[in-house]
Amino acid sequence: MGVLNLSRGRRADRLAAPPDDGGDPLGSLLRRAGRGDQDAFASLYDELAPLVHGVVLRVVRDPAQSDEVTQEVFVELWRLATRFDETRGSVKSWAATVAHRRAIDRVRSEQSARDRVAREVSNVVPDHDSVVDEVETTLDQARVRRALGRLTGLQREAVELAYFGGHTYREVAVLLDVAEGTVKTRIRDGMIRLRDELGATP
Amino acid sequence: VSTNTDIHHLAAAYALDAVDDRERAAFEAHYPSCDVCRTDVLEYRDTLAQLADAAPVAPGADVRDRVLAEIARTRQLSPLLPVSELAERRRRRRRVLSTTLAAAAAMVLVVAGALLVSRDDQPAFADELAAVLAQPDARLVPLDGDAGTVRVVWSDEADRAAFLADDLPAAPDGEAYELWLIDDGGAVPMHLLDPAADGEVRATFDIRASPVAWGVTLEPVEGSAAPTGEILYVAEV
Repeated sequence: MGVLNLSRGRRADRLAAPPDDGGDPLGSLLRRAGRGDQDAFASLYDELAPLVHGVVLRVVRDPAQSDEVTQEVFVELWRLATRFDETRGSVKSWAATVAHRRAIDRVRSEQSARDRVAREVSNVVPDHDSVVDEVETTLDQARVRRALGRLTGLQREAVELAYFGGHTYREVAVLLDVAEGTVKTRIRDGMIRLRDELGATP
Repeated sequence: VSTNTDIHHLAAAYALDAVDDRERAAFEAHYPSCDVCRTDVLEYRDTLAQLADAAPVAPGADVRDRVLAEIARTRQLSPLLPVSELAERRRRRRRVLSTTLAAAAAMVLVVAGALLVSRDDQPAFADELAAVLAQPDARLVPLDGDAGTVRVVWSDEADRAAFLADDLPAAPDGEAYELWLIDDGGAVPMHLLDPAADGEVRATFDIRASPVAWGVTLEPVEGSAAPTGEILYVAEV
């Protein structure tokens, strides 16, 4: 309770922060966390946890494991807070990057090379439609839904299977039964279009 | 000069973590020095964060307490020191370079000792190599290429470098291997490499610039002022 009250107070601080604190309101929280301020980090957790966990859960799938990975992500963000460089992207972008990488590391280390080969050889295609469907029904921002809607079907599937499904482009090629080069191109075209549709962080 | 531009097309897949470990390592060796790829990665990550932000899920209720308990006993990394002016200049040079020479992944090693010297090397070469390796800023890079690995060891402080190859095939008639030091001004011819019958090359030479990359091409036997042949070996520093 104490922490919660304190973090509210900190957030009020942040709103009153001088303009030279930069355009990213999470940046000043992170800078304070980088100096060892655990209350600032608690506020950062409150701001970022749904984003981080959303990424982790979609990739990892298992809720208990996802909680573990989300915890690891935040401990990692705490360790790295001293090295955050706002010229290299926003706090959210940084957190999403760390979260996705951690989630990927978890699923890829657990999926033995043998399983992977066996699956590809036997050509058993997992039900990837569920990943795509679920992502689309849970997107709660019309802007992002609209941007995804501007992608071709193959671009959208390739990007979503890679990002939310946690697959490499080679695995996506197997899932979608198209050539690797085609998937690489669709991923690239899809990301360029998404970027152009969404623009910079609002 | 043929270059490999394919690596630039990995930016989106890399931002999505949709590359394998080898591709990830290759791209990470490349993109910090490539303006286009660096910008692409930053923008794609920002785009993906917006995607992630639109699909939030709250973690388990106890995760917050566990995180706060764990960070209370977790040391933070020391901050990175500001880049020195020298490092900054170096970085700028790298950026220029990457537009002229496509990168190959290069594992940069801190030289651990004179284990490169083989028993039958000429004493003069062994001494020269040892002198370069003794410099605190000595660096070694293996150059990636088709036929085995070739290596360059050098020291900016000592303005001296050594080149080692063990299995370099004989150059075609009328041609010679030429080693290039690449800096912000482009490729500087360094040395014509003449492999012995067993493919061994041992050479030392002066360098008057700080390299951002090394490369080997096939050139006319008398050498060229600027590279004209295909890049056979290359490494970014």
